Amino acid sequence: MTGIVLFAIALVCLFLGYSVAFTFAGVSLIVGTIVLGADLFAFMPYRIMSIMENTILMAVPMFIFMGIVLQKTGLAERLLESSAKLFGGISGGVAVSTIIVGALLAASTGVVGASVVAMGVISLPVMLKNNYHQPTAAGVICASGTLGQIIPPSIILIILGDVMGVPVGDLFRAAVIPGMMLVIFYIVYILILGKFKPELMPPLVVTESKRELLVQALKDIVPPLVLILAVLGSIFAGIATPTESAAIGAVGAVILSICYGSFSFSKMHEVSKETVKVTSMVFAVLIGATAFSMVFSYSGSEYLIEDFFMGLPGGKWTFIIFAMLAILILGFFIDFIEIAFLVVPILLPVAIALDINLVWFAILISMNLQTSFLTPPFGFSLFYLKGVAPKSMKTTTIYKGVIPFILMQIMVLLLVIFFPEHLIIS
Amino acid sequence: MDSVLKITGKIIDALGNFCSLLMVLMIMNVFYDVIMRYFFNDVSIGMQELEWHLFAAMFMFGIAYTMKEDAHVRVDVFYDTLSANKQAWVNIFGSLVFALPITLVIFYYSCDYTFDAYQMGEGSADPGGLPHRWLVRSVIPIASFFLVLAIIHVLLVQVKILSTPAHSETGAQ
Amino acid sequence: DDDKKYRWRLAETWGPNFPIFGDTTKNMAKMVKEMSNGRLTIRIDSSNKHKSALGIFDFVKSGQYQMGHSASYYWKGKDFNTMFFTTVPFGMIASEQHAWFYYGGGMELMKKVYDQYGILSYPGGNTGNQMGGWFKKEINSLEDLKGLKMRIPGFAGEVLAKLGAKPTNIPSGELYTALERNTIDALEWVGPSLDLRMGFHKIAPYYYTGWHEPGTELQFMINEKAYNTLPKDLQKILTVAMKAAAYDMYAQSMHVSGVNLATLKKDYPNVKMRSFPKSVMNALKKTNDELLAEFAAKDPMTAEILKSLNDYKKQIRAWTNLSDRAYLDNFDEK
Ligand code: NA
Ligand code: NA
Repeated sequence: MTGIVLFAIALVCLFLGYSVAFTFAGVSLIVGTIVLGADLFAFMPYRIMSIMENTILMAVPMFIFMGIVLQKTGLAERLLESSAKLFGGISGGVAVSTIIVGALLAASTGVVGASVVAMGVISLPVMLKNNYHQPTAAGVICASGTLGQIIPPSIILIILGDVMGVPVGDLFRAAVIPGMMLVIFYIVYILILGKFKPELMPPLVVTESKRELLVQALKDIVPPLVLILAVLGSIFAGIATPTESAAIGAVGAVILSICYGSFSFSKMHEVSKETVKVTSMVFAVLIGATAFSMVFSYSGSEYLIEDFFMGLPGGKWTFIIFAMLAILILGFFIDFIEIAFLVVPILLPVAIALDINLVWFAILISMNLQTSFLTPPFGFSLFYLKGVAPKSMKTTTIYKGVIPFILMQIMVLLLVIFFPEHLIIS
Repeated sequence: MDSVLKITGKIIDALGNFCSLLMVLMIMNVFYDVIMRYFFNDVSIGMQELEWHLFAAMFMFGIAYTMKEDAHVRVDVFYDTLSANKQAWVNIFGSLVFALPITLVIFYYSCDYTFDAYQMGEGSADPGGLPHRWLVRSVIPIASFFLVLAIIHVLLVQVKILSTPAHSETGAQ
Repeated sequence: DDDKKYRWRLAETWGPNFPIFGDTTKNMAKMVKEMSNGRLTIRIDSSNKHKSALGIFDFVKSGQYQMGHSASYYWKGKDFNTMFFTTVPFGMIASEQHAWFYYGGGMELMKKVYDQYGILSYPGGNTGNQMGGWFKKEINSLEDLKGLKMRIPGFAGEVLAKLGAKPTNIPSGELYTALERNTIDALEWVGPSLDLRMGFHKIAPYYYTGWHEPGTELQFMINEKAYNTLPKDLQKILTVAMKAAAYDMYAQSMHVSGVNLATLKKDYPNVKMRSFPKSVMNALKKTNDELLAEFAAKDPMTAEILKSLNDYKKQIRAWTNLSDRAYLDNFDEK
C-alpha cells in the first residue's frame, strides 16, 4: 500500500517541475518518515557509498567527457555530417549515423546513462541544426543510447546472470542477435520514415563531388572511428576492462582534438565543468532513486508484487505473456535493478518448473527492462536526455519521440519470443 | 543580500572548478593504471582504489555546483508554462520541502558513518590498498554541507526574482 | 512475559537466492520460528535490499540490524584480528577448525575480539576447502608467479604480492570479460559449488587446488544489546539454530561441490585440474608465515590468536594425518 501511495505522490510532485533527483529523495523522506520513521534514513550513507564505490559506474563521467570533447571541438558534428553525406544525402542520414555510433558505444559500455548523455551531447545539436523533427531526434537518441542495455557488455545481463544463476558469458552471446536486430529495425524505420516524410529529417545538402566527399569523409570519419575502435579494441585485446576503456576514449578524444588543432586549455576547462554538471545530474538522480527504492522495499511493497506474481496463471505461454506484460507495466514506474531483484526471483522457480530455457527467459526479461528506460513517465533515458537537451526541448516532445521505438522493441521482443531457435545462440 | 549571493556563488564556483580538476585527475588515473598494467605489467591496488575515490568526490561535490547552475533535470510539462514568479515559488517550495530536509538528514547520519570509520581506523582490506577509509566517507557529509549552501544560494536567487518588479516573460532564472 | 513476540531482521552479504550461503540464513530463520513457536521471527534482507554487501558489520554494530550473516575476514580493514576467524592460508581444514572453535579456545578468542564492538560472533557455515583458482597459464615454477595478474583479495593477495604476483581489483561483474580477454591471468572464487555459475570453466583451462582458504567459515553476528533483550529460552533457541544451520551448510557445500565437480568433468573434460608444484607451495607457505609473524610482532592480540591457531593445528594435524590422511592414502578409490 505504501508503495502505491509513494508512486502517486512522487508522480504528482514530479510534474510540479522541481528537479527529478530531489523530488524523488524529498518525497521518499516524507513518506518514509511517516510510515517507517526517520531512522530508516540512517541507511542512506550506506546506499550513497555503494554508488560511490561502484567502479562500473566510473564509465559514466569518462564517456560523457569523451562525448563533450567531441562536441565542443566540432569533431562529432563533422563525423555525423560527413557520414550522413556519404549515405548520398538521403533523408535521415544523420539519424542513421547516430544509431550506428550509438550501437558502437553500446558495445563498449553497459551503462545507459553514459550512452544517452554522450549521444545527446554529440548528435542532438547536429540534428537540431539540420532542422530535424524534434520528437524524432529525441527518440533516435534515447533508443540508440539505451542499446547499451542489451548489446553486451551490459549491466542488466550481469545482474540477471547472478540472480538467475546463469553464466554471464552465455547471456552475452545470446544477446548479440536480438541487439543487432534492434539496430537494424531502428535504421530501417528511419529510412522508411525518411522516404515518406522527408520533412521530418531533411537530407544534408551535398555540393561536393563524389571524390571530394570521400576525401572529406576520410578526414572526418576515420579519426573518431579510430577512437571508437580503440575503445572496443582495448576491451577485446584485453588491454582494459569495459569500464577502463572509457578512459582510453576520453584521452583519445583529447589527442584527436590536439591533432585537429582545436585543443585549448580554456576549452578543456569548459569541457570538464560541463562533464561535472552532467555527471552530477545523472548521479543525483541515482541517489534520489535509491532513496525511493529504499522506502519502497522497506515498507514491504515487494510483498504486494510477490502476491501479484504468485497469482499468475500457469502454463508456459500464459505464464510468459503475463510475466512480460507485468514487467513492462512495472517498468513504467520502477527502476530495472529493482525489477531484476524483486520480480525475477519470484518468476524463476515457476520458469524452472515449466522447463523454460533460462537463457532465453533472461534475454526476454532484459529486452523488456530495456524498454522500461524509455517508457514515460519514469524513464531514466528520458530524464538523462532532458538533462542535456537545450531548454527548448520539452519533456512531452521526448515522450512523443520514443513511442515508435518502444513499439519496435516490443516487435523484436515478440520475434524473440516466437522464434527463439533462430535468434538466440546458446 | 547581493553580497551574500556573491559569496555563496563564489564558493560554489570554486567547488565546481575543484570538481573539474578531480574529473581530469580521475581520467588520468584510470588511463595510467591501464598503461602500467598492460605495458609494464604493474598493478597497484592503491592506485586502483584512488580511481573511485576521485570519482566519488567529483560527482558528490558536483551535485552542489550543478544545483547552483540549475542543471538538475526537471519534468517541465507544466513548469515551462508558468510565469517566472510562479517558477520561483516552485523552486522555493522544492528547496524547502524536498531538497533541504533530505540533505540535512543525510548530513546528520553520514557524520556518524564517517566518525565510525575514523574511530576504528578502517582501511582497505586488500593488498596495497588505501588507508583512512573515513576520508572517502567524509565526502558524504562535506558534499551535504556544500549542498545546503547551494540550496541557500538558490533560495536567495528566487527571493530576488520575486522581489524584482513583475516579469512578463516566462522561463526566466 | 512469555507471549511477547520478537521480530528481528538479519542483513546478509549475499544477494537474494544466492545458493548455499543464502540457504543457511533461511534455514536458521525457519528453525528459530518453528522452535520458538513464532515468538521470534527473523526477516532476512539480502544485499539488493540494504545495498551494502560489506556494511553488515556496521549495521549490526549500530543496531540497524539485530543480526548479520557474512564472513569475518571481510572486516580485516577495520580490525586485522577479525581475519583469523574465517580461515588462514595453510591453516586448518574445516573439521580441525570446528574442533578449535568449540573445544580449542577459538570461540573465546573470537569473543575477545568482537566484544569491543558490542557484537556477538558465531561460526556461520563452512564452504570446505576452496580451490586455488582459475588460471589461463600453467604454474610450473616460482618464476611463473612473477607478474601474474590475479584477482585475489585480502591477506592471500598480500602473500602472492610478496612473491611478485600482481593482485588486481576487478568488479565481479567484469571478471568474466577480464579473464576471457586476458586483462587478468587468473582469479580465485570459491570452488565447484559456486564457480560453475560464473562460467569461468569455459574460458580458463587450468583449475588449481587450494592453499589460501582451507576451510572458509562464514559468520553469524548478533548485536549484543539486542541479544540481551531476548528471554533465556529464545537466546538458546537462536544459538542452537545458528549452529545447526552452520553445520548444514558444511554438508550442503560438500554435496554441491561433489555434484558440480562431476558435471564439470563430464561436460568440460578439457579443464585440467592442477596443484602448484612443491617449490611454489613451499615459497607460499614460507612467505605466509613470515607475514603473519610480522603482524604478530605488532599486536599482542594477533600474537595470542596466532599462537592458539598454530599450537592447535600442530596437535590436531597429527591426528588428522594418522586418521583421515592415512585412510585416504591407504585406501583410496580414485
Ligand atoms: Na552494452
Ligand atoms: Na519507465
